[in-house]
Amino acid sequence: MRSRMILAVALVATLGFAAAAPAADPLVVSVWGGNWKDTIDRVVAKPFTAKTGIPVEFEVGGTIDRLAKARVAKGNPLVDLTFTTTHVGRLYISDGLYAPLDMTKLPNAKEIAREAIRSEYHIGSWAYVYTIVYRPDLVKEDITRWSDLWKPSLKGKIAMPDFDPSHIITIAALMEGGNETTWQKGQERLRQLKSSIVAFYSTDAQSQDLMKTGQGPVQVMLSVNAYHLQEQGVAVKLVQPADYPGIVGIDTMAVMAGSKRADAAHQFINFALGKDVQTQLVEALRAGPVNGAAVVPAKLRGQPGVFLTPAEWKERGYIMNDEVRAKTLPAWKEWFTANIVRR
Amino acid sequence: MRLLLVPALAVIAVFALALGALFQYSLLAFVPGSLRTGGVTLENFRGVASPQYLGYVWDTVVLSAATTVLTLLASYPVAYALARTSSRAARSWLLILTLAPFFTGAIVRTYAWLLVLGNTVVTWPVPMLFTERGVLVGLVHFSMPTMILLLAAALSHVDPAYERAAASLGATPARVFWRVTLPLSMPGIVSGSLIVFAWTLSAFPTPELLGGGKVKMIANAVKDLALDSFNWPGAAAFAMLALGLTLALLAGVGRLSAGWHAE
Repeated sequence: MRSRMILAVALVATLGFAAAAPAADPLVVSVWGGNWKDTIDRVVAKPFTAKTGIPVEFEVGGTIDRLAKARVAKGNPLVDLTFTTTHVGRLYISDGLYAPLDMTKLPNAKEIAREAIRSEYHIGSWAYVYTIVYRPDLVKEDITRWSDLWKPSLKGKIAMPDFDPSHIITIAALMEGGNETTWQKGQERLRQLKSSIVAFYSTDAQSQDLMKTGQGPVQVMLSVNAYHLQEQGVAVKLVQPADYPGIVGIDTMAVMAGSKRADAAHQFINFALGKDVQTQLVEALRAGPVNGAAVVPAKLRGQPGVFLTPAEWKERGYIMNDEVRAKTLPAWKEWFTANIVRR
Repeated sequence: MRLLLVPALAVIAVFALALGALFQYSLLAFVPGSLRTGGVTLENFRGVASPQYLGYVWDTVVLSAATTVLTLLASYPVAYALARTSSRAARSWLLILTLAPFFTGAIVRTYAWLLVLGNTVVTWPVPMLFTERGVLVGLVHFSMPTMILLLAAALSHVDPAYERAAASLGATPARVFWRVTLPLSMPGIVSGSLIVFAWTLSAFPTPELLGGGKVKMIANAVKDLALDSFNWPGAAAFAMLALGLTLALLAGVGRLSAGWHAE
């Protein structure tokens, strides 16, 4: 009698534990916070879980915080999948933090723009451009070209990022017949821009604050942030520069080396690259789709950073070489700080 | 009895290990475009000993010294009123106004200054935002509550009977202040100044936001190296260099003030 009771208690306990145990180990996704995480959660993760039954958890942080954490956890990663910018992805790759993508598990990758496949380790999720954005209520003349930034009338009105000066350095080089590899060609031109710059920003939030308050009414700015400002009622105008294209930025996804959920991570990436999810990502982020079959709202068609065809990726945007960018960024930053930022 | 020291020694050991790891990192070669580091080198120290980085150190020391002096000048009258007012209501209000900034946080306060200094609330005769002047205003505001509390504590220990005695012997109010009150409040002045100087040396959000990228102090330059250039060995070297200079400076100021105090 007593042994039966013990057996019954053990059975109930076992069933209880089984009921409390999670259905499956979650897929852990590393991503930026705020709107980025919320959008990926709503547009990708929740439908993904509904479709596959795989729960998704997020690790949220800045680009470099997450890189540092990934490095510390090398070989036994805390996350399974990472979203980051394409050139920072190069740093992950350099340290062996990414696993090679198994393209046979990514059938939707066949539909995406060739430019979005950044390497055998990381693949684009959406695109945008760094271009000129300004407030027409505070700047009376039209800005239509990169060269307009050098007009004396814009002195003391321009703000630009100092955390990554690669965009303006490349544009100045392009204007002088060079490119990101021969960036020194644009140095003198950039020096002439110094007195026009009122402030440098180091975060997207700072950039938007400068625009909202009018303290930096002309900016070299992320197109996604400009669309976000428009939604908030700030009347900003995005320029599709007539002389040289905007600098394309691509955010990417990759599977972490050593992830025990590599299959689920591939499923997630494939799901995010699908036409329907890409359509929703465009609508939510105001970014360009990497899947050319995605439906783009009429108001975004032809806008900066939104590319609809393979040809548009090349014609309306300048894509920097990731490796050159990752390797030269420290030198750019040092030169830019010494010659442009410092008084 | 010695066992009681164990927790403190453990904490010190953790910090020492972290510092040791930072020092070790500063001696590894930076490989651009990679997180991997090269062999042992002194190149990082040569790099951060350049005029550009020493300029950041100089700017930091000048801003910290100016902040200390201005904070002291702005805080002393408030601390004096706080210590000497006979009105309970006035003392309570002064205390509330002094402590209020502590409850808002550094970032919120700095964002508020962004609006005030940026010609949106007040029209300034000279540019304030994104200049050293603006950063100085933010740093002084940030430091004032602590300075006021330290000065008020020191002033409350000064027996008013000394001042009354000096006045009764014919000293003018100004002479009483210069010869009696000020010297007797020197412990508060020294400790307050040292604390404000030391923490201003490591200021980060105020110059980051109010400086608009144009005013950089040591912490901002370390962040630029580490987070923007991915040059972690360089950032470690500059942090070590800055730490050494800061300790040397504080030791010098401390010795100076100790000698002054002894007189």
